[in-house]
Amino acid sequence: MNSRILKKYFPFFVMPISVCYLLAFLIPFLMGIYLSFTEFTTVSNARFVGLSNYAALFSADDNFLHALGFTVLFTLVSVLTINFFAFLFALILTEGIRGTNLFRTVLFVPNLIGGIILGYIWQLIINGILIRQGVDITFSATYGFWGLVVVMNWQMIGYMMIIYIAGLTSVPVELREAASIDGAGYFTTLRHVIMPLLVPSFTICSFLTLTNSFKLFDQNFALTGGAPGRESAMVALDIFDTFYGRAGSEGLGQAKAVVFFLILAVVALVQIRLTKRLEVAP
Amino acid sequence: MKRWLSFAVLLAALVLTVSACGKNKDTLYFLNFKPESAEAFNKIATVYEKETGKKMRVVTAASGTYEQTLKSEIGKSDAPTLFIVNGPVGYASWKDYCLDLKDSELYGHLTDKGLALTSGDGVYGIPYVVEGYGIIYNKAITDRYFALQNRSTSVGSMEEIRSFEQLKAVVEDMTAHKKELGIEGVFASTSLKSGEDWRWQTHLANVPMYYEFEQDGISVADGSVPEVSFRYSDQYRNIFDLYINNSVTDPKLLGTKQVADSMAEFALGKCAMVQNGNWAWSQIAGIDGNTVAEENIRMIPIYTGIEGEENQGLCIGTENYLAVNKRASAEKQQAALDFLNWLFTSETGKELVTDELEFITPFDTFEADEQPNDPLAAQIAAYLADDTRTSVPWVFQLFPSQNFKNDFGANLLKYAQGNLSWEQVKSEFISKWKSEAQ
Amino acid sequence: MIGKKTSLILTLIMTAVCILFVLPLLIVLMNSFKGQFFISDEPFRFPNADTFAGWRNYTAGIEKIDFFRSLFYSLFITVTSVVLLALFSSMAAWYLARTEGTASRLIYATLIASMIVPFQMVMFTMSKMANLLRLENPVGIVVIYLGFGAGLSVFLYNGFVRSVPLAVEEAAQLDGCTPITAFFRVVLPLLRPITVTVSVLNAMWIWNDYLLPYLVIGTKYKTIPVAVQYLQGGYGSRDMGALMAMLVLALIPIIVFYAFMQKEIIRGVIAGAVKG
Repeated sequence: MNSRILKKYFPFFVMPISVCYLLAFLIPFLMGIYLSFTEFTTVSNARFVGLSNYAALFSADDNFLHALGFTVLFTLVSVLTINFFAFLFALILTEGIRGTNLFRTVLFVPNLIGGIILGYIWQLIINGILIRQGVDITFSATYGFWGLVVVMNWQMIGYMMIIYIAGLTSVPVELREAASIDGAGYFTTLRHVIMPLLVPSFTICSFLTLTNSFKLFDQNFALTGGAPGRESAMVALDIFDTFYGRAGSEGLGQAKAVVFFLILAVVALVQIRLTKRLEVAP
Repeated sequence: MKRWLSFAVLLAALVLTVSACGKNKDTLYFLNFKPESAEAFNKIATVYEKETGKKMRVVTAASGTYEQTLKSEIGKSDAPTLFIVNGPVGYASWKDYCLDLKDSELYGHLTDKGLALTSGDGVYGIPYVVEGYGIIYNKAITDRYFALQNRSTSVGSMEEIRSFEQLKAVVEDMTAHKKELGIEGVFASTSLKSGEDWRWQTHLANVPMYYEFEQDGISVADGSVPEVSFRYSDQYRNIFDLYINNSVTDPKLLGTKQVADSMAEFALGKCAMVQNGNWAWSQIAGIDGNTVAEENIRMIPIYTGIEGEENQGLCIGTENYLAVNKRASAEKQQAALDFLNWLFTSETGKELVTDELEFITPFDTFEADEQPNDPLAAQIAAYLADDTRTSVPWVFQLFPSQNFKNDFGANLLKYAQGNLSWEQVKSEFISKWKSEAQ
Repeated sequence: MIGKKTSLILTLIMTAVCILFVLPLLIVLMNSFKGQFFISDEPFRFPNADTFAGWRNYTAGIEKIDFFRSLFYSLFITVTSVVLLALFSSMAAWYLARTEGTASRLIYATLIASMIVPFQMVMFTMSKMANLLRLENPVGIVVIYLGFGAGLSVFLYNGFVRSVPLAVEEAAQLDGCTPITAFFRVVLPLLRPITVTVSVLNAMWIWNDYLLPYLVIGTKYKTIPVAVQYLQGGYGSRDMGALMAMLVLALIPIIVFYAFMQKEIIRGVIAGAVKG
């Protein structure tokens, strides 16, 4: 279609979504960056304070660094366990065993359930187990940590498995057959023929689990609420608490949010770079 | 195309209906703090509209999220005009929003002006409910105990107990006879699940802290206390140990218990005593299979072994203060004051306060017979009327923060489970207070 | 290929795994029929004569949180947002893909950059904005969802549009179509597969979203996740029975949705995996 004719139609096609985007996202985003350098309780009474919010969030008094450490550790463990199990199940469910379709269907179900609901379901189960020791999940951050890992695994394994299955089914059968004619065993074929072809799937899944674990809020909020104290609060929850937990620390909360955003932006850039490179070099 | 069009029309119609419902015609927006009163306030709003034609909206924050909700609501264009401030610590956060109520009619009706939340000359919060707590007991069970031939105490009735020594003797002897009494333990579970531990980290801690502040000449009006010595920590431990060692539940399992569990145990007659306040009556009465007769429900003060406790009364006070939003329009502020006057001075309003909210109020507009008729409220009234008793005010309003209380509660659980020494509980109480009070 | 014996063993293992996966849901279902005081202590025990509560938890929960009202809000907000997102993003994505200019490229880049921004970054200022613009109702929140969903939806549509041959549109133009009629008559029908994908992804996100509706309309209009959270908490009045029953009711729409749309959902999440 002719570009010149199209030009007149810009308001009709692009305006509706752009206006919503501007109001709901872009303006709040830019305001957020500005407010991270101020002290405010409502947006209108902001007072410029320079970098002091940023200094405060890195000080030892604040929970942010602890939350960040907890989050990083959680993300690491989640990424490893989720991808391990998801890949394992994907391998099993592409062998044509009986019940494959049913298994795929069932394993995916938890992914559809919202974080708040998931959190409460698992709170019941985990507390039901811990009660034998006379405690519950709020007793120690270690319980909270592993509880969150279990919840995250339960939710994400099915999803990642589907992506791995999509990758595995696109591996040409001839390649496998050729390998087995050459006398390669199952694990040799897997290691040297199949896995190299699945690098794109591994990249997608790793980053997907990484960002989802890193940004986790609902499950954390419902399962432990950060208890005991703030020990099991991850970054997203810590930011929420800073904003809404006490008056006067909104600027600090906003500064934390900016740092959180920057970390995620770096992760995303690394991902884009990596994906591009993989596309170029076959 | 046609399908698209009809769908779009349908959608547009829906949008219109919903947005029509969403129009805001309320003249008054009240943010309520007490989840247990949510239904009563909704009913009050309906009656108020019927009587005066003025529409009001009541929003009740989910438990534990009041401050959070207030914070996100008060910055809005349609902010609450009437809200609750929780004592001096709450006032410190919200002072920019609290209107001076010195000249309001309601303040004039306050029987004890000292109860109001003041700062300088101004009155920024008016208490609207007086509550009390102590050790609630089931007289049917204690009577059974006092009738035992082989009991080893000389105390003849619950009323005779005037010290921790006596309480301990009775409780421990009751535990020894629990089979004959038909109970599983003397006290209901000491609920130490996080978020369910306020009876211990706040209410029980009030008793030793009251004596400490008394000695140091500190009162609630002072607003904040930078440092404490927790010098009656051993007495706190006395009563706490008594609770957990004579309980329905093994001390190691207390981390899983909720307040609702304890109240159910009491209502079902599994135990004889439970520490709680008059607000618990509806909860006890509402439990299926409740075996506790109304006339058997009584209260005694919490004795801890501090010198001079013979004349101690129940812990009576308030932590909820009505505040009017200073930043609301004059019109809205007037609407809030009008509503308060209606609620606490008109016949209909007062009836709703006593029967629906079941509040004991601190206002002179309420006659002696206009008090809620539940048995626990009656106990409070009786103690208040007894001149030989000195009520313990709610000094826990001076506790520095929710964080402080939560940490203390978590430590109590660790102590109950044998994972933390009492020395550590005490020293963390002191150090955490200091760091949170800054 | 694997042998019969291995195949059988693998089937058994996966059966066990799947049982483990649905067990939590079954335990919640079972506990929703027990009295509220018999849940947290012994969640793994079946209800018996003493502990069986019948439908009491369901009636109590439905009444407490006004479940059907929440269901209506959730449905209304999700359906409206999903439909409008699909409509507006496909329009914008097609337009931006077909006009080669700095402005178009800039708008596109700005839109998709939002995909990496965490919600916490904008939650406070966005709630203020929503308040300022009087968007705090089930209709207004749709505007917010349009803004937040724009990035991913436009991104997915854009990728698809690039694979649609220009010839079709040019033919339509020769037949006398304006860009608007050409888009709705010719292009939009061709975008059907990606529309399904985008809608599935948006529906799953909006239906389950908690923080955004809580902050924007949470005190007046509670969607299902907000209502369930409201039931929790409880100053000595937390009702575990009602909580279990409401969890079950919250799960039913999701299971039904999955049963009818399984293929589309699976295809959608694979396509959406790129969002990261």
